[in-house]
Amino acid sequence: MIKTVSDFIESDINTALFLVDIGVYGFREVLDKYPERAMNIGVFEDGMISVAAGLSLKNIIPTIYGISPFIVNRAFEQLKLDFGYQKLPGNFITTGASYDFSTLGYSHYCPEDLGLIKMIPGFEFISPGNPTEFDILFNSTCKNENPTYFRLSDYSNTAICNTEFGKATVIKQGSKAVVIAVSTMLDKVIQACEDYDVTILYYNTLIPFDYKTLKNQNINNVLLCEPHYYGLLTQEVVDALQGESIRLDYVGLPREIYRNYGTKLEKDEFYKLTIDNIQSKLNNIITK
Amino acid sequence: MDKILKQIRKKCISISNIGKDGNLQSTFSSIEILWAIYDKVLKSDDSFVLSKGQSNLALMVILAQKEIISVEELNTFCKFDSRISMQVDRTKFFNKEIEVSAGSLGHGLPMSVGMAMANKIQNSNGKIYCLVGDGEFNEGTMWESCILASSKKLDNLCIIVDNNKSIYSMIDVGNLDNKFKSFGFSVKNINGHDLNELQDSMLETSELPKIIIANTFRGYGSSTLMNDKSWFHRYPKNEVEKLLNEVDEF
Repeated sequence: MIKTVSDFIESDINTALFLVDIGVYGFREVLDKYPERAMNIGVFEDGMISVAAGLSLKNIIPTIYGISPFIVNRAFEQLKLDFGYQKLPGNFITTGASYDFSTLGYSHYCPEDLGLIKMIPGFEFISPGNPTEFDILFNSTCKNENPTYFRLSDYSNTAICNTEFGKATVIKQGSKAVVIAVSTMLDKVIQACEDYDVTILYYNTLIPFDYKTLKNQNINNVLLCEPHYYGLLTQEVVDALQGESIRLDYVGLPREIYRNYGTKLEKDEFYKLTIDNIQSKLNNIITK
Repeated sequence: MDKILKQIRKKCISISNIGKDGNLQSTFSSIEILWAIYDKVLKSDDSFVLSKGQSNLALMVILAQKEIISVEELNTFCKFDSRISMQVDRTKFFNKEIEVSAGSLGHGLPMSVGMAMANKIQNSNGKIYCLVGDGEFNEGTMWESCILASSKKLDNLCIIVDNNKSIYSMIDVGNLDNKFKSFGFSVKNINGHDLNELQDSMLETSELPKIIIANTFRGYGSSTLMNDKSWFHRYPKNEVEKLLNEVDEF
């Protein structure tokens, strides 16, 4: 991520980088080289988003890197009004997906970011499954006309698959159900579905959603596996299969306030982001 | 009061009545500031940002006066599918007559700071003039923006505070001059209804980012609007003639 974003800043004078007091060491070279447009702006997220919009108004594309709740929750009005309402481009890269920063508590969690960002028409939402996918998707979108949100996790997939902005990837094809693996859920979904006659679709661009690939499967049993609050892509699934009777179930995070600390992996077990749970839900969908 | 400033006020009253909405007190307090900016200050490379969106009616009337929008268009104020309403939407102005949408307070100033930073990056000589309300300084983003503007030495940024004493009805912020000076600004304290003082202070060069505290009165130009607090957010209805006469007699 750091090299890709640094290259972007180096390549075009009409770009700017704001760090919200994170990633400063990693970005040190570009910060030193272009101090007038690459800076650690500090913990000033709400006003900083407006400042970034001011740069964008003058045709300088801003890229912001910060921790997800402090971008999405604290500065939601600025995202909505200064980028959404004013139709301005910008790149918002966040770390700390869902509860990646598990020991820091609920203040540093953000399992709801997709639900919030999708309420701002015009925003794109990208949830890469590994660093290579980020590089491809960032380079595809960083200069487009839309505000784009990148949800980064420290826990990558090992699976490698073709990645194209706005397109779902067919991982395997079957006949009994479609399993939608969202972002970092892919490894578990692949393992869980090894002996099942199901289609796996992999999504890392969540907005705009690739309706066509899902519709083209002509299968109405759907298991939606999300690494954030469960069901945030329900409307997209329903819209893709409009007019059909759908049997839909979920693997995802419950809509609770998490107070249990521990590790990210312990939380995954506790909240059943597990291979066993995927198989259990799948058995239910297929046999009903 | 200059004839043109009375004309603008009277047009604001009429248009507010057509649109059946208005913040005439806040509109009237900033008319001299806006007129000075559009008549004397703005150059082709400069930008103006209305951060205190409540003054948008005055801005629209002044844009019509300067033939940037048509006088006829004013009659569509607040109508369905109009370009102009209580708060401006920049996406409806394709020739950048308006650069920044307004509405929620505490946004226009940080965006202006970003625009001033952009001009520095792009080596543009353009200045950014931003009209804010004193009441906006209840918003944290205003002070955060001031810290950043000072830190970046944005000598191309001029903030004009329509100091119509709104904030003091909420909290006592103490001495604004001292606060802004301590934030690293060049501070001018002037009569916000005096065109010469406004023009001179805005055009004066400074090595520091600049704040002009333009002392104004809510509803300035009409005794009713100046004295009756119920006019914070209403339109004239049956009182158009009365208000127009008051402006004439002011």
